[in-house]
Amino acid sequence: MSEDNLVQIRELKKYFPLTGGVFRKVIGRVHAVDDVDLDIVRGETLGVVGESGCGKTTLGRTILRLLNPTSGQIIFDGKDITHLGGSELREVRRQMQIVFQDPMASLNPRITIKNSVGEPLVVNGIAKGPRMRDMVLELLQKVGLTEAHLNRFPHEFSGGQRQRICIARALALNPKFIVMDEPTSSTDVSVQAQTLNLMKDLQDEFGLTYMFISHDLSVVKHMSDRIAVMYLGKIVELTPHDIFKEAMHPYTFALVSAVPIPDPRFAGKAAILSGEVPSPINPPTGCRFHPRCPFAQDRCSKDIPELRDMGNGHLVACHYAGTLDFGRSAQQEYADSFDVPANA
Amino acid sequence: MTESREDIVLEVHDLFTNFYTFEGTVRALDGVELFLRRGDTMGLVGETGCGKSVTARSILRLVEPPGKIESGKIIYNEIDKQTGEVKPIDILSLSEEELLDLRGEKIAIVFQDPATYPNPVFRIGDQIAEVVLLHQDLRYDVIDMKIEKLEKSLQGESDPDKQVHIKEKIEYYRELRKDPPEPDKKDAKAAAFRRAVNMLNLVRMPSPESIAMQYPHELSGGMRQRALIAMALACDPGVLICDEATTALDVTVQAQVLKLLNHLKKEIGTSIIIITHDMGVVAETCNWVTVMYAGTTVESCATKNLFTRPLHPYTDGLLTAVPKLHENKERLPQILGSVPNLITPPSGCRFHPRCAYATEQCKSVKPKLTELEPEHWVACHNPLN
Ligand SMILES: Nc1ncnc2c1ncn2[C@@H]1O[C@H](COP(=O)(O)OP(=O)(O)OP(=O)(O)O)[C@@H](O)[C@H]1O
Ligand SMILES: Nc1ncnc2c1ncn2[C@@H]1O[C@H](COP(=O)(O)OP(=O)(O)O)[C@@H](O)[C@H]1O
Ligand code: SF4
Ligand code: SF4
Ligand SMILES: [Mg+2]
Ligand SMILES: [Mg+2]
Repeated sequence: MSEDNLVQIRELKKYFPLTGGVFRKVIGRVHAVDDVDLDIVRGETLGVVGESGCGKTTLGRTILRLLNPTSGQIIFDGKDITHLGGSELREVRRQMQIVFQDPMASLNPRITIKNSVGEPLVVNGIAKGPRMRDMVLELLQKVGLTEAHLNRFPHEFSGGQRQRICIARALALNPKFIVMDEPTSSTDVSVQAQTLNLMKDLQDEFGLTYMFISHDLSVVKHMSDRIAVMYLGKIVELTPHDIFKEAMHPYTFALVSAVPIPDPRFAGKAAILSGEVPSPINPPTGCRFHPRCPFAQDRCSKDIPELRDMGNGHLVACHYAGTLDFGRSAQQEYADSFDVPANA
Repeated sequence: MTESREDIVLEVHDLFTNFYTFEGTVRALDGVELFLRRGDTMGLVGETGCGKSVTARSILRLVEPPGKIESGKIIYNEIDKQTGEVKPIDILSLSEEELLDLRGEKIAIVFQDPATYPNPVFRIGDQIAEVVLLHQDLRYDVIDMKIEKLEKSLQGESDPDKQVHIKEKIEYYRELRKDPPEPDKKDAKAAAFRRAVNMLNLVRMPSPESIAMQYPHELSGGMRQRALIAMALACDPGVLICDEATTALDVTVQAQVLKLLNHLKKEIGTSIIIITHDMGVVAETCNWVTVMYAGTTVESCATKNLFTRPLHPYTDGLLTAVPKLHENKERLPQILGSVPNLITPPSGCRFHPRCAYATEQCKSVKPKLTELEPEHWVACHNPLN
């Protein structure tokens, strides 16, 4: 077990029971997170991508023990927290926070910003009264808000400001680890740029470790040191490299190839991954991607591919990783077009 | 923006729309200018609250109280199918009844949230069929359907006498097709359903016949969005407006829908407006772009010009604030602040409180949209160069 890892999860599973009928019998199970091994290194940002319903949020919430794992092991800061409860669980929870996509939904509309951000301080017996106010003010200033905002209510703020308030609250207990679940999906590009810059500044200042979940692959690339790609509850690729240039799993390659290229010279060049994510209730056998994979062989529908290290900590779960020729994506061509001097 | 009306299918001039809310008057559109060339796909971009949706709703006269279109001109230039002549339709002076013809038949819209549309309690096929029934002349479809049926039974018929009889019947319908009568309700319904299946086929639904029999909740987000597009296209509109129609979808599914729109444009010749805040989507699908900021049109030009040479500071900010897939930057360039409240919008150029190039003039004088370079319109006192 490495000291460098803040989070280590082993064979983690989270199944949701699917009930039906008059007696609400369990008629199936949603394989939301299915046998995930993952290390998150201290101080890094681990990006998580994948299509809707692939289990990103469930993975984040299970690591934080906001959901109880079905099986497997979660080690946080050297301590097995898989089965912790009561005050012990509350204690570790102080060190792990989550920031959601919709800041309005996570702030109580009838409570002032001072009390919202200060709530964790009061609940955990850290500060109250004037001391709490001073600490909240300091937090607000860290995220670019001022004293004038202390006694206002959530509806008096813009979406971007509300997201800052949520970030301030997440920082209140001086956590080590923050899960950012699509923190900028509902904000505009200008606000997104402000929020992303702020998150990087705070990470440097407080030595935070982030798990950064997003649909937007360019944003994830911008924020992350390593990226985990999820498909139907499993991590299919984990890479320290640029996913737009060095994808090794056919799903990752298909995902990055679908990203619209912000350059009209490449209009219509994004490639199409046909079909949609199958139901996680009865996921495909063998490699879960095989029904959509252009490289699938007989073996792929039978054997489950393990995550294998392809060198330099680049992990890929594909039987044929390293032997497949994807060709070049338009996104690669686009990225490469910047390497050439303009007048060459 | 002077051009012959044969080339331009839709034009909006100096459009003002307000919302009279409890907090005050929201000046949502403040002199919007735009035009859509026939056969073009235009991107309408800008951040949340810039007035993209209100513009779309104004074009269709779907602004509801407390909202009100105050002034301006919206012209749909229809080409008469028989004579080929251009017939300008002044949308703001249409009666309620005429509006029903406009919506769907001439201009159709697909909204963002596929969960709330289509109507959850009706089958997909029936919903599309209903739109068709309401707007389309089905007299020919009904007769074609009868002829098709007879031709099929002719193939399976070996008795020569009966063959002759069927052939006579086919002849009869062919004759009738020259001036078909109003079909009865049942026939019209069947014909409308047939068209619905054809539309689902057009939007590349796998097994359209069975999809037509399904309910919206049984489809995935991407399929529902395609069903909506099918419904919008069912009446062969001259203009299709997609308001953030792919925003809620995964990149993979979004790419499928965008490709579909590109194909459809070629197949059926509809002009398209894509409302989005994603510049990648614009680059991928649009040949023309109009940029809006706080209820005004700030820039309008060919997509390639916008990306290589934005002239408005806001456009430039929009383009540079997004993380790029090819870059490894530590920090992103920021546009300061956010879109202003439109109850008390900034004076002069509405962008001035956020603009790094603002001068005294910008605070008091509203810049006019002008053709600064050929085919490149900008509203700014100090454009970039
Ligand atoms: N409480 C729950 N009960 C039953 N099923 C659930 C529950 N929460 C999530 N799921 C299912 O688990 C799977 C993974 O969901 P999850 O929310 O983790 O996906 P995600 O990758 O975060 O997707 P998105 O990108 O849409 O946010 C989905 O099939 C989802 O429907
Ligand atoms: N029903 C309404 N009542 C009050 N204000 C509205 C209403 N609809 C839109 N607005 C206002 O009009 C402006 C433009 O909104 P909208 O067109 O929806 O923006 P966009 O589609 O560009 O995000 C915003 O300031 C918005 O708050
Ligand atoms: S294991 Fe087979 S099906 Fe799965 S990604 Fe690799 S080649 Fe494709
Ligand atoms: S008119 Fe002035 S404030 Fe407005 S965009 Fe141009 S320079 Fe900036
Ligand atoms: Mg999620
Ligand atoms: Mg809108």
